[in-house]
Amino acid sequence: MAETRDIFIICNSVNELGGLTQWVHDISRLFTARGHRVRLIGVEPATDYRDFGSDLPYPTFTLHEDHLPRRRKATGAALLNPGRSLMLRKRQQIFEGGVRRLNELLRTAESPGAVVIASQVWAGEWVAAADTTGMQVIGMSHESFEACRNSSRYNRVLKFYGGMDIHLSLTDADADAWARAGMSNVGAMPNPLMTVPKTLPTLDEKTVVTLRRLSHDKGIDMLIEAWAQVGPQHPDWRLKIFGAGPDEQALRTQARSLGLDDTALFQGKTSDIDGALSSASVYALPSREEGFPIAVMEAMAYGLPTVAFDCAPGIRELIDDEVSGGLVVTPGNVSGFAIGLNRLIEDRELRVRLGSAGRESVQRFSPDSIVDRWESLFALLDR
Amino acid sequence: MTSPQPRPPDVTVVVIVYNDAARIETAVRSVLNQSLRSHEVIVCDDHSTDGTQAVVERLVAEHPDVVRYIRLEANSGHCGAPRNRGVAAARGRFIMFLDSDDTLDQHACRNMVSMAEQSHADMVIGRCVRHDVATGKETSWMPWLVQRKVVYESLHDQPELLYDVLSTNKLYRHDFLTRENLVFLEDRLYEDNLFSAHAYLAAKKIAIIPQRIYTWNIERKAANLSITRRAADIRNITDRIIVTRKIDDLLTKHDAGDLRLQKDIRFIENDLRVHLARLGTLPEENQRALVDAARPYLETLQPEAFLQAKPLPAMAAYLARQGDYHGVATVHDYMVGKPFQPHLTADLVVHDGRVYWSDRHLDDEVGRAVLDVTELGLQDRPLSKLRLGSRIDSVHRDGDSVTIAGSFVNPLGRITVESAPKAQLVFAERRSKRRVFKARAQLVVDEQRVGWTVTFEPEKLLRPVGLIDPNYSVRLHLAVGTDSADLALFAEDEVTEALRLPARPKLTRLTADLLQGYRTDSGNVALRLDADGSAAKLGTAAISGVRNTSIGSRAWERAAELQSSLRQRRNKRATKLSWYENVFLKMPVKKGTVVFESHMGKQFSDSPRAIYEEMERQGIKFTPIWVYATHPTGFPSDAKLVKRNSWAYLQALGQAEFWIDNQGFPHDLRKRPETTYIQTWHGSAFKKMGFDEATIKAQTEQSQQRLQRAIDRFDVFLVRSEHDVRTLTQGMRVGAELLRVGYPRNDALVNGGNEAEVAKLRKSLGLTDGRKVVLYAPTFRPEEVNRKSGLELPFDLDEFVHRFGDDAVLLVRPHYLVSFALPPAYGHSVRNVANVHDVTPLMQISDALITDYSSLMFDYSLLNRPMIFHVPDYDDYVGSSRGSYFDLGSIAPGPLTRTSEDLIAALSDLDGNAEAYAGKRREFVAQYGEFDTGQAAKAVVDRFFRSGARRG
Repeated sequence: MAETRDIFIICNSVNELGGLTQWVHDISRLFTARGHRVRLIGVEPATDYRDFGSDLPYPTFTLHEDHLPRRRKATGAALLNPGRSLMLRKRQQIFEGGVRRLNELLRTAESPGAVVIASQVWAGEWVAAADTTGMQVIGMSHESFEACRNSSRYNRVLKFYGGMDIHLSLTDADADAWARAGMSNVGAMPNPLMTVPKTLPTLDEKTVVTLRRLSHDKGIDMLIEAWAQVGPQHPDWRLKIFGAGPDEQALRTQARSLGLDDTALFQGKTSDIDGALSSASVYALPSREEGFPIAVMEAMAYGLPTVAFDCAPGIRELIDDEVSGGLVVTPGNVSGFAIGLNRLIEDRELRVRLGSAGRESVQRFSPDSIVDRWESLFALLDR
Repeated sequence: MTSPQPRPPDVTVVVIVYNDAARIETAVRSVLNQSLRSHEVIVCDDHSTDGTQAVVERLVAEHPDVVRYIRLEANSGHCGAPRNRGVAAARGRFIMFLDSDDTLDQHACRNMVSMAEQSHADMVIGRCVRHDVATGKETSWMPWLVQRKVVYESLHDQPELLYDVLSTNKLYRHDFLTRENLVFLEDRLYEDNLFSAHAYLAAKKIAIIPQRIYTWNIERKAANLSITRRAADIRNITDRIIVTRKIDDLLTKHDAGDLRLQKDIRFIENDLRVHLARLGTLPEENQRALVDAARPYLETLQPEAFLQAKPLPAMAAYLARQGDYHGVATVHDYMVGKPFQPHLTADLVVHDGRVYWSDRHLDDEVGRAVLDVTELGLQDRPLSKLRLGSRIDSVHRDGDSVTIAGSFVNPLGRITVESAPKAQLVFAERRSKRRVFKARAQLVVDEQRVGWTVTFEPEKLLRPVGLIDPNYSVRLHLAVGTDSADLALFAEDEVTEALRLPARPKLTRLTADLLQGYRTDSGNVALRLDADGSAAKLGTAAISGVRNTSIGSRAWERAAELQSSLRQRRNKRATKLSWYENVFLKMPVKKGTVVFESHMGKQFSDSPRAIYEEMERQGIKFTPIWVYATHPTGFPSDAKLVKRNSWAYLQALGQAEFWIDNQGFPHDLRKRPETTYIQTWHGSAFKKMGFDEATIKAQTEQSQQRLQRAIDRFDVFLVRSEHDVRTLTQGMRVGAELLRVGYPRNDALVNGGNEAEVAKLRKSLGLTDGRKVVLYAPTFRPEEVNRKSGLELPFDLDEFVHRFGDDAVLLVRPHYLVSFALPPAYGHSVRNVANVHDVTPLMQISDALITDYSSLMFDYSLLNRPMIFHVPDYDDYVGSSRGSYFDLGSIAPGPLTRTSEDLIAALSDLDGNAEAYAGKRREFVAQYGEFDTGQAAKAVVDRFFRSGARRG
């Protein structure tokens, strides 16, 4: 039994809807189960609220009762606007108050060797400003290097994570990319696989499924375009898209203009992931940007073969193209995506082979092995 | 007194030092600050005589458990002995080395140890970064070796590791060093080379991490150059060869003879190159001695090493092997790296239809292969890309006038008396280039060399301001026809010294009265203001007196800093953009100004040119501004010329009434509503375009929006057919008004009318006999852009020349971003037309076209002449993610050929082709070029520029 530690996990909000917050609660639960004393700390209240239950085995805190005023980028004359500098000063005061509350929480650590984990870049600003003397400070970017570089987070990662003990990416390939970009305090830590399938799909259902937020980065438009090439050849097969989002109307219009029946396509939001996955035979992941997609891990746990664009190193870390987990297609190659779907639709053998190999390979990310990796990381940082 | 530690530290860092009291502390502190706390430092002092010992002893006192000090009894003069002493005293499980002038990254030990433990490797290699202390600039050392985390079972998995000869950016298992008895050579330089080669060969596993580990500080002008920097003397090269021979012995001993070739190539490309660098600047006896020191070893290398090494270092090595030290010097003159100015001094020759570096050694088979530089393309590159430079041979003063004489090589006799070359000596203020003085030169041309003399009266010509413009560059501007180049000047010390030009500063002669020649850091000649007469000496003494006071020097420094930071900020894109947005776009529109740009300024060509010429023809009053990318050669002299992305360019675009271009002005430049943007575009689409392309589909929302905003700037968009409307404009999501008038550039294909230009082109290409002309113009392939070899022909040129050489001439037209080198052997029946600006007249003079997927097919079909589609990579290209809008096979108005034989067969029956595909060509034009009726330029001009015309 390794020594137990105080672990502070800081995220943007402890009950925000979305994959990241799910991960935060998963990992907190796993650490707690190993005897570590976890405190889960959110910076501000959720925007899109989700209930993660009331009987959590670890305490949760929120640094700010209200949402922080957002900083907007200004150029030219707007920089001189007195209202803006006033707002910035106000925000700075609020921020400092939050950092003080964080410091109070950090002082509750019971033993040396405490760990502070900034699970998101925004929350990392509070961690970087807090007094973490004598503690291990870990920053995490839950997205691919490429996706981060295309966003405003890139410079903040360099700024706030550069001075931390270690900055964890989701895969070795992403960590290498950060190292090439000049960060030397980098390492990799994959997400744990939390899914335990209740019912396994028979792979005979004539359904292709995806569970996605309907937004540009998730690439549903490309899936619909590909389906327009596949669907007509297989009228007995159906594509089911579970989820909601800002692009829903545009996507429905696109589907109709391609001659697809949008009511059959769009299934709306569901909480029954088990039902959705166990009644399908192929999973589609048409994303433009990803980190280490939980969706693919889940599909693999269910033995569903996936067709995915090669949009992040995390994809290939999970799916070994043509060997286990599914097929990987060059980003944006919609015809290639259609060909991949077609092959899986027409070849049950292939579905079974890739699906079951995927089910086996995804066990690498079992909760136990991931928590072991975390604990040896803590030990390394202690040396 | 320190008590022995219960547990050995993870890492021992051995720091070696000799007389470096100033920097040793920084080095040691970079270890003490390691995130991995389990470490120790052993400082091994090679018997320093400065304050080093005191500094280190203070550190020992501060950290008695971590830092130890070992002082060698006598100075060894090398790095080997102190490192060996350090290893002998080390307690750590792993060992790293650090030099006193360098530092370790804060996480170096943790990253290295963690990788060593994960991989069980005997050694781990991380990234070394070279840090230029003066400029702060950083570059990775051999970055391709440290791209990603990887474990090699042995050197055989990655023989290129032999290129990384440093011992410092690495971590070694202590027991590995003991087991293999790995020690440094103690009495030679380059002990690193031998040690790392030995380690690579002996290691059971070698692990790589991409993280930065080691900072190698480079101080270029330090008086006390570190031991390894004092190259050029005979002892160095002798030591290098002794060490290299020992490495060869090791390779044999470790049964790795197969790696010998790899090592030989590295020796040619790196080691020898360093020792012979700048050979041409040494006295002749030193040149000979250096080359002679290398010769015996070079004679033991396999010929294969010369053939496989990079071409330029291979030539230098081969010529050194032959004892041709003059030849070696010419190669180094040409390939010298930054900061030096390269220049061509070799007498190139054509022999059996190929280009050779020199006419010597061609009787040797290896010599012929190594000295063959046909692929460099010097035979038809523009003069500005030949790295021409000139010698100054003499300077004479006669009363008030000065005569400067010089000469340079005539590359392959390309400069002829008939081509009427002109030259002038150009003096330009080095920093701002605002003050420029020119003096005409007389040229004497013969086949090998071009001589020049300039006679002028310096006091009349040279009028610097004084004080603010201390340095002037001097170059020879050479113009041959439409081609031109600026030659840097080189001279021996006596000649440079004799270059004393009396000058009259505008401020007063008290500031200076002379421009004195000197050699710049780049090795070429420049001039600086100096004092000669007593008044000037007194004046400059007074000025330097003021500058030497503390207030004066601070003020001077501040002014210099301010000036350089202003200049840097001025050149930043953000600064320019902000001016563009806030100033240029708010200044009034200049009525009648039209900015023309073709292919991002690379050419004076295409539809923008056709519209421009139509406006001239119609006598329309307007102010034309043409954009050039790098060089204004070939652009019209009666238009205002602006360089792309310069300040003048931004101002021109900000205030123009019209923008006319065929590809896209920089995406980040907004267009004001008062400006009309006529987008002519540059070809119909076979391949998927715009948002139909996979790479763009995969982009983020922001990137797609940026592209869309750029496209939304178009006010009108020219199309050639309804096919364009269905494919191109859909794919690009063009919202502009579509002008169904065809392409102005294609008017000439339908009507002719540019006979003079066509005749001139035929003449300049030497197409004066009655042979047929075949144009080969393949499409753009991104992989060819940065490829050294450029365009590689997918058919057998020998076969073409053999079969058709007497009846036909082949014009090879690579895409404008791709280079192509044509061996002179084919000169009789093949021409490289890469440097012709406009492709339209090329189409006009050709009797047939060979292409693949290029949009040229649409334009050429208007000529109703035979076309062949040579597509060896059809399945790959069309089947790949790029995709196409139609099936070429069923629609092409000519045969599709997949092999060289098929192509030759198709070429042998062009008359049959003309007949057999006549119907298909008509259909093709009707389908894809229906609006190209020869009236496009007129239609655009009528619509926008005729007086009283409706404005877009």
